[in-house]
Amino acid sequence: MAGRRRTTALIGDDNTVVVAGKRLTWRTLRKLPQLPSPAAVLVDNGADALAALRHHAVHGTELLVATESRVDERMREELGESGFAIVLPDGAVTLPRLKRVEESGRAWLLTSGSTGRPKRIGHTLESLTTVTADQPPRTWLLPYSPGTYAWWQVVTLSLTQADQGLVVIEPHELEDWPKIATEHGVTAASGTPTFWRQAIYRDADALAGVPLEQITLGGEPVDQAILDQLREIFPTTRISWIYASSEVGASIVVHDGKAGFPRTWLDRDPHPERPVLSVDGDELVIRSPHHGAGQIGAVHTGDRIEYDGDRVLITGRLDTDEINVGGSKVSAGVVRNVLMGHPGVSWARVFARKAPLVGRMVAAEVVPNRSLGPITDADLVQWCSTRLPDYGVPRRIKFLDQIPQKETLKSDV
Amino acid sequence: MGEVMTAQGRALPAEDTADLREIGFRSLDFSELALRVEDELGDELNFDAPGLRRIATVGDVLDFIEQLQSA
Repeated sequence: MAGRRRTTALIGDDNTVVVAGKRLTWRTLRKLPQLPSPAAVLVDNGADALAALRHHAVHGTELLVATESRVDERMREELGESGFAIVLPDGAVTLPRLKRVEESGRAWLLTSGSTGRPKRIGHTLESLTTVTADQPPRTWLLPYSPGTYAWWQVVTLSLTQADQGLVVIEPHELEDWPKIATEHGVTAASGTPTFWRQAIYRDADALAGVPLEQITLGGEPVDQAILDQLREIFPTTRISWIYASSEVGASIVVHDGKAGFPRTWLDRDPHPERPVLSVDGDELVIRSPHHGAGQIGAVHTGDRIEYDGDRVLITGRLDTDEINVGGSKVSAGVVRNVLMGHPGVSWARVFARKAPLVGRMVAAEVVPNRSLGPITDADLVQWCSTRLPDYGVPRRIKFLDQIPQKETLKSDV
Repeated sequence: MGEVMTAQGRALPAEDTADLREIGFRSLDFSELALRVEDELGDELNFDAPGLRRIATVGDVLDFIEQLQSA
């Protein structure tokens, strides 16, 4: 049985870290000057973000790390008023407007802010280190934007466990990551469904050449179609999906290759290492041992669920997932899953459009799978008509040339 | 309107007086038609502008769409 540790010692300090094609280790990353604490370190590359994290781990400082582009002027002012020195990529430091005592060892994350402005969630290296069982030796791809919860998940794994190398992918390298991953022997990769879909869409053969033993999906609703497509390309690879957020941490991990999680996981007896999952109305509620500061107890996640036989599907955000078409309600996530199930569709987004008589109508944007020949909106309407009620069929479908992707590797589906 | 009907596997009758219920042109079809017009014009339409009134025939639909475009 694998050993379980509760330590954030820098056991991985000599793990390989590949940045901009250079093979380094955590220990040999560029040394940053002594950082102030509390500090918001704004970076323009992955290597500096890792260096800031290691500095935090060694010195126990209070740290927020994020890409420069993610923290606008207003947020920088707010951080300064909350006691953070702002450290820019060139090393310039803006001192805080409020002086306060640091919270030693506190790591701050910015939530994705999909419902408004990003907010800060407090963690510690320990609360962010959720993989504690010993892992087989692996080299992990790191495509995530520095400072996001998913980024912390991968980097804490590499820093606190032996033989967990990292290959950092910068935003400008995202289109070619399979080539870089193959070159550096990446055996494990975590990304959003959008990230995986793009990789398949761009060059499935290049993706198939990456010697992946572990594929992880998270950050967005995970549909059966993307799991099946990855399984076809990687027949023997372990494919997992994770439900995680800054607020509740990594709370659901599914390895059986199916979308959703077993219904039997709801309302299980409390266990110190395992989150308790429940449903309130149609909202997922989680009580998690990996929660952020102040998120103790049952957290209403804002994510909407639907039951599908013995599975619980997470269909999307509660405030945007449900579309009311003339009094009949349909889940955008469910419609999207149907569209994504069409072999000619590489990506889809489903949303409501204002319409006369019925108030809202279901509409969609679709990126077709170029390798399977042309499809028309009529094909897709026909496909959906046999799988959805009338009011759930997207009547207006717009075709896009490429899969949209944000810095967070998500596409706002 | 013909495109919406065709997409549903039906044909648009020639007479403006044709009853929508009889030809199976439902609320969803009407709404789709409005969105098609919106897409054609490349501009958001004010669906509240024409006001509430009975839309029972093919001619009523066409009048409504015309009103939308000029609103």
